[in-house]
Amino acid sequence: MSAPLLSVTGAVKRFGGVQALRGVDFDLKAGEIHALLGENGAGKSTLMNLLSGVHTPDEGEIRIDGKPVRFNNPREAQAAGIATIFQELDLVPSLDVAANLFLGRELMRPGGMLDVPAMRREAKRRLEAIELAIDPARLVADLSIGQRQVVAIVKALSYASRVLIMDEPTAALTVGEVERLFDIMRKLAATGVGIVYISHRLEEVPDIADRVTVMRDGRVAGITEPHAPQAELVRLLVGRPLDELYPERAKSAGKTLLRLKDASFRLTRESAGWQPPNGISLEVREGEIVGLAGIMGAGRTELLSALYGTGLAGRWQGELAVDGRPVKLESINAARKAGIAFVTDDRRGSGLMLRMAVGLNLVMSVIRRISPAGLMSPRRQAEAVRQSFGQFDIRPKNPDIAVGALSGGNQQKVVLAKEILGNPRLLLLDEPTRGVDVGAKGEIYARLRALAAQGLGILVASSEMPELIGLCDRIVVLRQGRDVAEFNGGVDEHTVLAAANGREA
Amino acid sequence: MSDQKISVAASTAASSPAAPAASKHRVDPLAIIVRFQSLIGLVLVAIGGVIFSPRRHGEILFLNPDNIANIVRAVSETGIIAIGMTFVIITAGIDLSVGAVLGLSAVVTATMMISGGFGLIATILAVLVMGTVFGIVQGTISTRFRLEPFIVTLAGLQAARGLALVVSGNQYINISYGDGPGLAPPVFAVLGERLFDNTVPVATIVFIIFAAIATIVLNTTRFGRYVYAVGGNERAARISGVPVSMVKISVYAITGFASALAGIVHAGQFNFGSANDGMGYELTAIAAVVIGGTSLFGGAGSMVGTVAGTIMLGALANILQLNNITPAMQLLATAAIIVLAAVLQSLVRRREGLGR
Repeated sequence: MSAPLLSVTGAVKRFGGVQALRGVDFDLKAGEIHALLGENGAGKSTLMNLLSGVHTPDEGEIRIDGKPVRFNNPREAQAAGIATIFQELDLVPSLDVAANLFLGRELMRPGGMLDVPAMRREAKRRLEAIELAIDPARLVADLSIGQRQVVAIVKALSYASRVLIMDEPTAALTVGEVERLFDIMRKLAATGVGIVYISHRLEEVPDIADRVTVMRDGRVAGITEPHAPQAELVRLLVGRPLDELYPERAKSAGKTLLRLKDASFRLTRESAGWQPPNGISLEVREGEIVGLAGIMGAGRTELLSALYGTGLAGRWQGELAVDGRPVKLESINAARKAGIAFVTDDRRGSGLMLRMAVGLNLVMSVIRRISPAGLMSPRRQAEAVRQSFGQFDIRPKNPDIAVGALSGGNQQKVVLAKEILGNPRLLLLDEPTRGVDVGAKGEIYARLRALAAQGLGILVASSEMPELIGLCDRIVVLRQGRDVAEFNGGVDEHTVLAAANGREA
Repeated sequence: MSDQKISVAASTAASSPAAPAASKHRVDPLAIIVRFQSLIGLVLVAIGGVIFSPRRHGEILFLNPDNIANIVRAVSETGIIAIGMTFVIITAGIDLSVGAVLGLSAVVTATMMISGGFGLIATILAVLVMGTVFGIVQGTISTRFRLEPFIVTLAGLQAARGLALVVSGNQYINISYGDGPGLAPPVFAVLGERLFDNTVPVATIVFIIFAAIATIVLNTTRFGRYVYAVGGNERAARISGVPVSMVKISVYAITGFASALAGIVHAGQFNFGSANDGMGYELTAIAAVVIGGTSLFGGAGSMVGTVAGTIMLGALANILQLNNITPAMQLLATAAIIVLAAVLQSLVRRREGLGR
């Protein structure tokens, strides 16, 4: 048996007083898709950074084909054949696909002019090599997230072709796009490329991985089969059995909070790629968690943002009622007056003031309440902050730290706690656990269920099917801005998927 | 489970949103230096002033009460403007019109009292309202049409200078004091004088009072919190129900008001109004704000920092002057300090993992 394509032995890495890696062994064979799982802070990013040359190990060794190597920077790792695709894709949206693929290594004509046709031809050839028909002359800004992901892969592979490291490549993808990405990964693996696949999504692992390494606390917690039961993976991830990721469902629901009947949102100006609600009927009752399922572009996010008045300009038509009273819901103010709160899918972009303290973020939606006569009341603010820390286990337990320094899961808890402080009656959630580790997910689910038990109605959109099925009392499936099916929680995943894709189950 | 106390009570309220330093968990010394950079800079400049000051009969000229009074008087106009500018910059905006509005205000002040025959109170009120309205208009155009404040206030700068030229007929409008038509009330001249045994310049007193009010507004009022919120993340603020447009318009109203106030002080100190008054003050004010630790990215900054930054720039210019160092060198020294302040901030952003 020959040496593995890539191996790491006894890797140790410290940052100041923090020991990020405490002796990690890892190996990757040619043609293998090796999943690397771990919660935030488990050390998988650090390991990835060692492999891609961002950091050098304090102790331990990296070998390629059995020969020790040392990368002082990402360029050296690339030269050794290791390409990394980071979560934030390093593409320039305002340039076209070909220009992105050749960025920094442009093909030139004699005389110093760019050879655009040659770059487009070559780009087309490379994209077709993985059977992807994207016009190389299209702007990256006009591509879907999934298409951008593929462009980033092609770009990475053109730098280096032996090892591909992918950090959470599916985080922003729809079910269909994930399947296509997996196809591409399998094809690459078949050509002998070794792929390290980092993910939060346990349920994807059996579909794609050949082997799974789970990290915890800077160590390898275990190496298992991809078809190991999910409970086993969760146990390795969090270090203890997690009996119930999803809390028990509600026994009964109260009176109707939100009611849409044949409701459509007429845009002032049509916008490509924005699917407005188009004849939706649905209800959310007190104490109920209702899920919105659908493929990307089905109009889940659009429904939530139109209800909250943050989407594009337009007017509602049809019947909209909160608490049985007709409402217009065309501005944030109207929504808030009706007792509606909204947590967007983009906590860094539109949820948090990253450089500001946790405490200041928490009270953001209740500033009015804690500033009688226009003066901030330190006492009321402290009370509000204490209430939030009491409800959500935000770590570290320090409201003075900048919220940007928190892990994704804790940031998400801050966003949720912030909206809960406003005592909403109806909570709109868009992708409430995106980029959140399993432990924090379980906690968020439990909290949401507890809040519902106190009478809060929750309408949650998610692209993670198991989350909708596990968390929600009912699931409404959207397609082209319309509700096309409704299921009770616990329904079979394929049934929902079929409805979302417009097929018979 | 350790019953770790949540240090919310006083700490959250007391620590200004400017620097959410990790109190117990991880104190980054660099972040603390940046938080107090302008105070530290002021102390360093003062020490340098003492060391390098020329002496006469053993007296350190830099510490001479007259000299100190001169420093704080010289910075009072840009200081007043910088205070207004701090609000704008915390919302991630910029106001380039301030120097021009100062000029316009000085001209209008002189014209109203000398040729218009208006009384002191009426003149001051009218000029303050004019400056405020000027700011409101700029803020409204910027929010209503979603224009960059840079462009809107650049146009505002041109407009204010143009108006000042029209009003003044491109002449110096001299202010003479006395009773009767064509003369300004003598009490107006107090702006050029010193109080308390001829020690503290009146212009400085105006500056300090304005700074004190601004500090209270920024740190303890709902409006102040909104200002940080808008600059911290405008979309998040909007979703949280913060009246973003109202806040933005208000901060430009504040810079307009501050520029008008500085213009009145200017007219009172120099006894004339000219359309060229306050040329380039916008840049000095922005420099003072940035040196004071306020981030041009918005969401962070402090009033104390701005005041210290303003005085530091004045003290630096003073010590260079005392040593007969050319104005060219003064500009270069200021440039170096601005770059240093910006580099320090950038380092902190990178440590927090927020900038690139």
